[in-house]
Amino acid sequence: MIQFQNVTKFYGQSKALDDINININHGEFLSLVGMSGAGKSTLLKLIIGEEQLDGGQILIDDIDLATVKKSDLPYLRRKIGIVFQDIKLLPKRTAFENVAFAMEVSGHRKEKIDKDVPKILELVGLLHKKDNFPDEMSGGEKQRVAIARSLAHRPVLLLADEPTGNLDEINANEVLDLLLKINKLGTTVILATHASDLVNKINKRVITLEGGAITMEQEKGKYKL
Amino acid sequence: MNTIALFRVIKSGLTNFWRNRWLSAASTLVMVITLVILSVLSLLFVITSSSVHTIRERVDISAYFKTGLAEDQIFQVKQQLEQNPKVKSVTYISADQALEQFKQKHANEPLITDSLKELNANPLPATLQIKANNLEDYPGIADELNSDQYKAQIDKVNFEDNRVVIERLNRLLKFIVTIGLALIIIFSLIAVVVIFNTITLTIYNRREEVEIMRLVGATNWYIRGPFLVEALTYAVAATIVTSVLLAPLYLRLLPGVSNYLNPGVDIFAASYLRFYYLVLLMLAISCVLGIISSLLAIRRYLRI
Repeated sequence: MIQFQNVTKFYGQSKALDDINININHGEFLSLVGMSGAGKSTLLKLIIGEEQLDGGQILIDDIDLATVKKSDLPYLRRKIGIVFQDIKLLPKRTAFENVAFAMEVSGHRKEKIDKDVPKILELVGLLHKKDNFPDEMSGGEKQRVAIARSLAHRPVLLLADEPTGNLDEINANEVLDLLLKINKLGTTVILATHASDLVNKINKRVITLEGGAITMEQEKGKYKL
Repeated sequence: MNTIALFRVIKSGLTNFWRNRWLSAASTLVMVITLVILSVLSLLFVITSSSVHTIRERVDISAYFKTGLAEDQIFQVKQQLEQNPKVKSVTYISADQALEQFKQKHANEPLITDSLKELNANPLPATLQIKANNLEDYPGIADELNSDQYKAQIDKVNFEDNRVVIERLNRLLKFIVTIGLALIIIFSLIAVVVIFNTITLTIYNRREEVEIMRLVGATNWYIRGPFLVEALTYAVAATIVTSVLLAPLYLRLLPGVSNYLNPGVDIFAASYLRFYYLVLLMLAISCVLGIISSLLAIRRYLRI
C-alpha cells in the first residue's frame, strides 16, 4: 500500500531521514519506534504531504506522492486519518461537533453527519459523552474523540503520532485497544511511539528508527531502547 | 466546491464578523469614511463639471443689425459666418421675433409693456446669435464681426466673455480631482491596512481550527473562504451605512442644484449620478479593497 524507496529528508543541514526503505501492506499494523528526533514524525508528515522529501520516492497505491498536485492534497488527506500527541480538539465544540467538523469540511450533508457521527462515537465507546466539551473529558477520552474525528472520512490509513504520549497507563491502553480494533476492521494503522511496553504487548511488526535510519525490523516485534 | 461547502464558508465568514464585533465595527467605519469621501467628492465633481457645461452652453455672440436693413443683407452675413469653420451655428432672430420674445419675457411688468406701447416703431434690431465650436474661438469671431468688413450692416456686437468664470471653474474642477484622488488613495490605504489587521487577528484566533481543517482535508478555498467573506461583509456593511448617510444629501441636494443651474430641467437625470449607480460604485470599490486586504493577510499569515 505504501512504499518508501530510498527516502531522504533534510532539515537544513541536518539529515532527518537517511535512505529509508519500507513496504507497508494493506490492513497492516506497523509500529515505528525510536527516541524523539529519530525521524518517526517526519516519516508520517511525508505521507500526508506536510513535508517534501529530498530524495527517493513514496508510493501510495502505486501513485508517486511527488506527482500529487498541492491542490489535490486535501483529497489525499481525506483518505488518511491522523492523530497527534497533543490531540488538537477544538475546545469550544462538543465531542459530537468536533467529529462533525471533519465531515463538514469535506462538504457532507447535515443529515449524513447526524447519522454517521453517533456511529463513529459509538465505535470509540464515547457515544454517552457526545455533548461533552473536551474540558469535561479525561485525556484518554479526548484522544479517542480525536481518533473518532480522524475516522470521520472512513480513511484507509490511520497515522497515530505518539497518541499515548500524554496519557497514563490505563488511558494509553484504552487508546491502543481502540487502534487495534480499528485495524481489525480493515484500516491500515501506523503507530509512531517511544512507549516500548505498549509495542511489546501487541506483538505486531516493528520498525526501529535511530538518527533517521532504520536500525531494526521485526515481524512480531519486541523493542528495547 | 459544492453548495453546502459554499454555504458553510459564508456562514463561517459571517461568524468571524460577528465574533469580533468591535473590530468589525472599526473596519467598517474606516471603509465608511473612505466611501463618504469618495461619494462627496464625486458629487462635487459632477456638480462642478455640470456647471461648466451649462455655462459653456450659454456663451454666444449676438450681432445686432442696423435698423431698416434688408433681410437679404443679413442672410448674406449669416452665410458668410456659416462658412467659417470656427462657427458652430448661426441663428437669425428678426426684429419682429425679437420684439415678441421681449414682450413675452416682460409680460408681467406693466411699466415696460406700457412704455413699449408709447413707441410707434419696433426699437429692437434684427439679431444673429452665433455659437462657436470652441470656447477659445469666441474672441476671434467677435473681433471679425467688429471689423470694417461688417461696419455697414452691424450696429453692435455683444459678447459676454464668460471665459474667466469657466477658467475658474475648470481650475476648481482640477483641484477637486487632485485633492479627491489623493484623499481617496490615502483612505483606501488606511482601510486596507485596518482590514488587513482585523483579518490577521481572525486568522490568529482561528489558527487551531485552520490547522485541523488542513489535517482533515479541507480544500484551500474552504479554509481561505471565510476570511474573504469576512472582508466582503465589511464592504457590504460599509456600503449600506454610507448609502443611508448620503441618501438624503443626494436626493435633496441634486435637484436643488440642478434647478439653480438650469431651471426646469433636471440636468442630472441622464447622468451617471443616479443614486443606485453611486451605491453600485461604492459596493464595487469597497469589495475590491476588502478582497485586496484579506488576500494580503491570507498570503502572509495563513499557511495552507
